[in-house]
Amino acid sequence: MTTFGQPKALTLSGTHTRRRGDPMRWAYFAGFLIVTLALMLPVIIIVLTAFKPASEVNAYPPTLLPHQWTLDNFAAIFSQLPFGRLLGNSFAFAGGVTIFALVFDSLAAYALARLDFRGSRVLLIVIVASLMIPFQATLIPIYQLVSQLGWVNTFAGLIAPRAADAFGIFFLRQFFVSLPRDLDNAARIDGASEWRVFRSVVLPNAVPALLTLGIFTFVNNWNDLLWPLVFTTDQNMGTVTSGLTLLTGPGGIIPQGVMMAGALVAVLPLAIMFLLVQRRFIESVASTGLK
Amino acid sequence: MTTARLQRTRPFRPHGQLGGRTPLNGTFKRRATIVGFLAPALVILAAFVGWPMISALRLSFTDASGFGTPTFVGLDNYTRIFTDPEILHSMGNTAYYAVMFTPVSIAVALMLALAINSPRLPFRSFFRSTLFLPFIISLAVAAFAWSYLLDPQIGLLNYWLAAVGIHLGNVLQDPVLAMPTVVLVAVWKNFGFYMVIFLAGLQEIPTSLYEAAQLDGANGWRRFTNVTFPMLSNTMAFVVVVALIAALQAFDQIYVLTGGGPYRSTETIVMQIYQSGFKDLDLGFASALSYVLLIVTLLLSLVQFLFFGRRGEANNS
Amino acid sequence: MKKLISVAATAAVVAIALSGCSGSAGSSSDQANGKVALTFWHGYTEADGGVLDSIVNDFNASQSNITISTQTKTWSVIDDTLLPALSSKNGPDIVAMTSDRLPVYAQKKALVNLDDFYAQDSSNTKALKPEAVNMETVSGKKYGVPSGFVPLSVIYNKTLFAQAGITTFPTTWDQWVADAKKLTVDSNGDGTPEQYGLALPDHATVGNGIWPSLFEGNGGSVTSSDGTQATVNSQANIDTLTYWAGAIQKDKISPTGLDGIGADKLFTAGKAAMEVGGPWMAGVATTSNIDYGLAAIPAGPKAQVASAIGISLAVTAQTDATKQVAAEKFLAYFNDKTTAVKWSLGSGWPPLRTDISSADVNSNATVASLTEIAPNTVALLPGVVDSADVLTAVDTATQKAVAGGDPKQLLDDAQTSIQQALKG
Repeated sequence: MTTFGQPKALTLSGTHTRRRGDPMRWAYFAGFLIVTLALMLPVIIIVLTAFKPASEVNAYPPTLLPHQWTLDNFAAIFSQLPFGRLLGNSFAFAGGVTIFALVFDSLAAYALARLDFRGSRVLLIVIVASLMIPFQATLIPIYQLVSQLGWVNTFAGLIAPRAADAFGIFFLRQFFVSLPRDLDNAARIDGASEWRVFRSVVLPNAVPALLTLGIFTFVNNWNDLLWPLVFTTDQNMGTVTSGLTLLTGPGGIIPQGVMMAGALVAVLPLAIMFLLVQRRFIESVASTGLK
Repeated sequence: MTTARLQRTRPFRPHGQLGGRTPLNGTFKRRATIVGFLAPALVILAAFVGWPMISALRLSFTDASGFGTPTFVGLDNYTRIFTDPEILHSMGNTAYYAVMFTPVSIAVALMLALAINSPRLPFRSFFRSTLFLPFIISLAVAAFAWSYLLDPQIGLLNYWLAAVGIHLGNVLQDPVLAMPTVVLVAVWKNFGFYMVIFLAGLQEIPTSLYEAAQLDGANGWRRFTNVTFPMLSNTMAFVVVVALIAALQAFDQIYVLTGGGPYRSTETIVMQIYQSGFKDLDLGFASALSYVLLIVTLLLSLVQFLFFGRRGEANNS
Repeated sequence: MKKLISVAATAAVVAIALSGCSGSAGSSSDQANGKVALTFWHGYTEADGGVLDSIVNDFNASQSNITISTQTKTWSVIDDTLLPALSSKNGPDIVAMTSDRLPVYAQKKALVNLDDFYAQDSSNTKALKPEAVNMETVSGKKYGVPSGFVPLSVIYNKTLFAQAGITTFPTTWDQWVADAKKLTVDSNGDGTPEQYGLALPDHATVGNGIWPSLFEGNGGSVTSSDGTQATVNSQANIDTLTYWAGAIQKDKISPTGLDGIGADKLFTAGKAAMEVGGPWMAGVATTSNIDYGLAAIPAGPKAQVASAIGISLAVTAQTDATKQVAAEKFLAYFNDKTTAVKWSLGSGWPPLRTDISSADVNSNATVASLTEIAPNTVALLPGVVDSADVLTAVDTATQKAVAGGDPKQLLDDAQTSIQQALKG
């Protein structure tokens, strides 16, 4: 196990900048910025629509910027929906699923990746295969089970069925398998238990993967529409995403400006979370000495 | 450096003398440890994935509607699948969608991940966060933005292009262009997800390997083919399977953009499953169709795994 | 990691505690003491929802042992969640659903047959409009009472009409197309109008009702009146489709490939002078600062017909005998004349009883004008279980015809698909 620390990595990037020089670097930056902005055009539309008065949303000719900026849409969100409560429910639901799934998935993935046992490969294939049935097919059986447990309209009913998921196990297993074995073998020689190897060796090295999975799980549950709608018929249990559907008017007409404002408020926690966490992707890798 | 891949887990042997446990070192304590690690997840999966899947399998041999007592109908639902031209048509559409979506989304995600991972790019965290945005916004909202762009009469993109003399037309209602357009939007919505997975994989590659390659005088492309690509094989195997599963289950992005039209040209298998299960209240048929989809996906995934496994091994040897 | 696990453990305890508290809140827990609690799901999200809730409150106040609690969801949410909920008897006891969905649920035995209820005088169903009751009938049995039966109507942009010098709204197809041509403006002469006379969608039309309305205006139909035979390839329908496809292709009065939502957008953008829409378009036009007028769909060569946007109240099969009686009491209350007037005025939907005239509801101008149009309203595909496949077949024919296909060939294809859908 050789440790290539930060200095050498810096040397590598250093050679680039020295050889290519700054102008190339900024040309590369400018090119990439243009690509990014083009890709972000729909997002920009969403943001700007949230500030448009209703009469401008479908006006012709279409414009990117509002002629008249307004905060009415945001005011409408908070007056028409119990937004605080919806946000709280969303956090409880998506956060609960994420915490459980991270713990249970990483335990199972560790066993599949590191504890070589008879049938582990078959088990992995079975787990991955369970991803291949569309959830529309299993939703009703799941609902009936949750209902028999008396968990409809409860957080338990929302969270328990997703407290472990095949996707997360598969994802972490692939990550754990690629971690060098030297570290945990060294720990085992020192007499560490598997639990200790998992906790003190593998998990700290897997922080980027755990954060990645955590974000995916959180985002997917936060944005999930049908799940909270099916499992909670009580409006007090609604999430932000399911609550926003209530803005739909007769004939399926959606007040688009208000909807975009709601979407922005709904996505804000996710964006902030990603901003905070994504810095740690690099830091954690740099600090593990695994490079 | 280990290169274990899915099909190579079991024959693993610890390097040299280290870690002298063998797979069959089956003491009670060791078995208890394995069970302890697996049990929480497996209990949840057995109850909320396994059992519902078995229920669905049983329903697939009945005429269940969700109400009343279902009657056993044998293989009727399955024979219906392969004799219904609409279903067969939607299978073709799904294949067409998957063939476009899987490679394109992976290529886009990988290219952007490599670009962001390059130390030459300033403000990398800005790009990383920005490019992840399409993935975190909800689909309904994304659909609004795209229709605001693509609307043939009052859409922004059409308005801008018309100013320079290009008429894009009604791409979402064109039987030929609708599917590629839907794929484009789906790629846009999901590339951030795959990109972040690739970034996590790229972070794992030891810099030492690049340095060695650089000392050997390998150029950028050689470094990619000799170091990056083989070292990403675990990540790649994962992304390919996950993207393929997502593609074969394509539903909601199409549902909100075209509703399956024009003339069923964007109707996929899962749209048929949704229609038969939730609209026609024909759970038996929807379950049967789901199992056909599962088997097809499983076969394709195994082929993919074999392919990527071989490639990875060849590159590493 | 330790921290993470302790957080998870705490969360588990909290979740279990929460499930303990709210898990017992079943709707039938009061039944032992003679009280009946019913749940009622509906999709009236606007002012209409408020009026409906107040009607329910009045009903609750009038009853000593029945309490109905309402839950507002959107129509599509009701449709997506009703099946799982009812399959575990956690669903509503009374549900409002769009008329295209009722036959499926009725056929799959998710709804209670209301024939006995209709037979009672006290049900107040005798005065209901027969065309509206028609949409509750599946295989000869009734499964709901109408709560909405609104004709599609034309909304027009008064400013654009004034610019084109049109002072009276057209009443026949030929006048309608002639006016639409006047209102279609191609100022730069590139062959693509900048303003369309009429936003006429060729598929996924509002309530799927535009083409059936046009077909019936020329004496045609999509299916036979009992919903057992496809009748879509009649000569009358071929003529209708040829007429309108020609107006769109040659005279460019409307863009092609348009759907109902696209038509709404075009109208609110001020790029279309007319649109066939639901009554809610009045409110949408107001927020878009468009000076609008509402009018009946102009008469075809044979008749003036408008397809209805229909909504029904039904009692679900999860109710036991006691709850069913209680639910029927509410339906009878809802059909009562006083309630019907209140509902009509508050919701902005025309009255459902034949004995309420436009004079009774003239305090709401929209309702009064819709009531004038209402006599020629027909239910869309009443009693047809597989209406989705039937409507897809119609959409395919109309969209392809508007794009330049041969109407006869297309309607023959639609006839085959529809006949198959009606059999299956």
